[in-house]
Amino acid sequence: MGRMLENASKKLLKENGIPAPNHWVIHKSDEIQALHLKKPCVLKALVPVGKRGKAGAIKFADSVHEAQEKTEELLKMTVRNYEVNSVLLEEKLEIAEEWYISITIDPQKQMPVIIATTEGGVEVEDLVKEAPEKVVIYHVEPFSKLYSYQAKEIWSKLGVTGKPLIQATTVLCGLYDTFLKYDCYILEINPLVLTKDQQVMAAASVMGIDDSALFRQPELAGLVESGSERSWRPLTELEKAMVQVNDADYRGTARYTEMDGGSIGFMCGGGGGSLLSFDALTFLGAQPANYTETGGNPSEEKVYGLTKGILSKEGVKGLFVAHNITNNTQIDVMARGIVKAVQELGVKLDEFPIVVREAGVNDEEGKRVFESAGITYYGEEVTIEQAAAEMVKKMEGVI
Amino acid sequence: MAILIDQNTRMVIQGITGREAQMVVDHTLAYGTRIYAGVTPGKGGQNVLGVPVYDTVWEAVKKQNVNASLVVVPPAFALDAVLEAIDNGIKLIVVTTENIPQLDSVRMLYEARKKNVVIIGPNTVGIINPKDKVKMGSIGGDRPERCFVPGNVGVISRSGGMTAETSWMVKRAGFGVTTSVGIGGDSFIGSTIKDLLALFEEDKETKAVVTFSEPGTSFEEDAAQFLKEGGFTKPLVSYVAGRFTESMPEGTVFGHAGAMISGNTGRPSLKMKALQDAGAHVIERYDDVISVLKTVLGERVGGVK
Repeated sequence: MGRMLENASKKLLKENGIPAPNHWVIHKSDEIQALHLKKPCVLKALVPVGKRGKAGAIKFADSVHEAQEKTEELLKMTVRNYEVNSVLLEEKLEIAEEWYISITIDPQKQMPVIIATTEGGVEVEDLVKEAPEKVVIYHVEPFSKLYSYQAKEIWSKLGVTGKPLIQATTVLCGLYDTFLKYDCYILEINPLVLTKDQQVMAAASVMGIDDSALFRQPELAGLVESGSERSWRPLTELEKAMVQVNDADYRGTARYTEMDGGSIGFMCGGGGGSLLSFDALTFLGAQPANYTETGGNPSEEKVYGLTKGILSKEGVKGLFVAHNITNNTQIDVMARGIVKAVQELGVKLDEFPIVVREAGVNDEEGKRVFESAGITYYGEEVTIEQAAAEMVKKMEGVI
Repeated sequence: MAILIDQNTRMVIQGITGREAQMVVDHTLAYGTRIYAGVTPGKGGQNVLGVPVYDTVWEAVKKQNVNASLVVVPPAFALDAVLEAIDNGIKLIVVTTENIPQLDSVRMLYEARKKNVVIIGPNTVGIINPKDKVKMGSIGGDRPERCFVPGNVGVISRSGGMTAETSWMVKRAGFGVTTSVGIGGDSFIGSTIKDLLALFEEDKETKAVVTFSEPGTSFEEDAAQFLKEGGFTKPLVSYVAGRFTESMPEGTVFGHAGAMISGNTGRPSLKMKALQDAGAHVIERYDDVISVLKTVLGERVGGVK
């Protein structure tokens, strides 16, 4: 899943016929000139996170000077771990009413769902609970577009009538088309504004793209940071390096998430096995230094690069390698990649414990490779939790 | 007996000539499971290790009377492959493909619901029934018998690898499995835990079920509700992995795509509580699968055959 910055989503919305205020991207305050301030403006930190208003990352200005000052304030901010490097400057709308629209996929019903309300400025999740009659939740048949009459019904149920009803109907159909066209997993307009001159406009937009669908969205190349929603902060340098290790070879997956502190290098898999392994270590009071999930039969080169990365983090004093019994990952290939990295780094095994629990395809050869390098190896005769306990015990000797 | 697949399963593999399918075909035939047909457009008339290849599912149905499909095609073609299988009357479709666009998954699952078709996956390792030596998918790899021996326990797992590991824990406890099912790690999947519990309830040979769960979705809460309603009455042993993720900032995904906590939805601790309240044997440590299974099954059923 990958979010887009608001300037990118606004541009796409406008290209698809959704009215939105004029906008510019500002990198330095002195870029702001009179032409930007024909009307009062809104300044928003361009970061890929929501609820910027609450974080103080949305400001208003009436003059060039004021806009420059506030831009400088924004450029010094860090919003939910994201440094602000640029600012979105938009014409301020003359607001009569603030509405809300989101389009997502309902995980329960497994269908696209539109959530609409004309009560602006509130948390829609709370409104659904407190005043459900003010919210319309509308599921759309997955193979269908949204028909005008459907959009009209949604607004009409919320009390919209007259010219705004016609406008809002067109806008909602356009938004739904956009949601499908770009393989969004979320398209949220909050607020959708009814201006004093009766125009319906997207004042703020959040657009997230399903990164599994990027192969058929060439237009979005570079606009979406693939996998950006897997993390709660920007990628660290080490994480970026590990993304490169992963991308260098299509075979297998290697994901690396850096934890705060920790002493045990963690190299486990697959999706479920790595969760179990991490739980096993933390229940015993140990602190993994990273979360790594690898599997899907990675190449030796990938395993080698990943191992080096895991061991390069400061404070790592041991390595735990574990997988569930593998269906297709070749243990001997894993073993050669790990041993190569360990030997190249000159790891002294008497002061740097490594515990391996690997069973599955080619594990006899894998065992030979690990053991001839002096690494503690367990196969299927030992459970993942038993191996984790052994790791924690060995760590007591080195911390 | 078993659920989903048995000796009457006549499997077709859609995408049989692709790179991904090669190993699956090889291992499946070696295990003793018959593959009746393959489908790859433009490759009709060829064969893969003796399995006839057709251009269309329509032809595979007509010539080989296939009734279950294993879909092993790249993400861009998965929706079309599943729709083709549904349209030709296939009632069990196992979708192994990972990274299918969400909208495509939602569409295929919608069509399957409308036509009463059972979908396992997407992003599944597959299903295995060791008594009949029938498997669909890469499940078991080159040595299925290592983890999967015939017995009386059903296994349901979000994770493909943990389907094998959990079945091996069952074996280690002295039992075996009727059927092991990897339900897939995506947010949007066909058969959920609850759906499979309903099938295991009907299966006379299954005396207990073990589930391996992960953060994300409401599958465990739905299963708990199903237990409360009396839909599943056999012993259920449940493990939920990833409790450490609850102490991480919200929105972080560890492991599978579907493993995301949002508000209170998807929290392992709440899943465990719901299952416990519904009468399941919720284990704190995964290794406890062994002791709990021994206790709940005792000597009532036979051990490893």
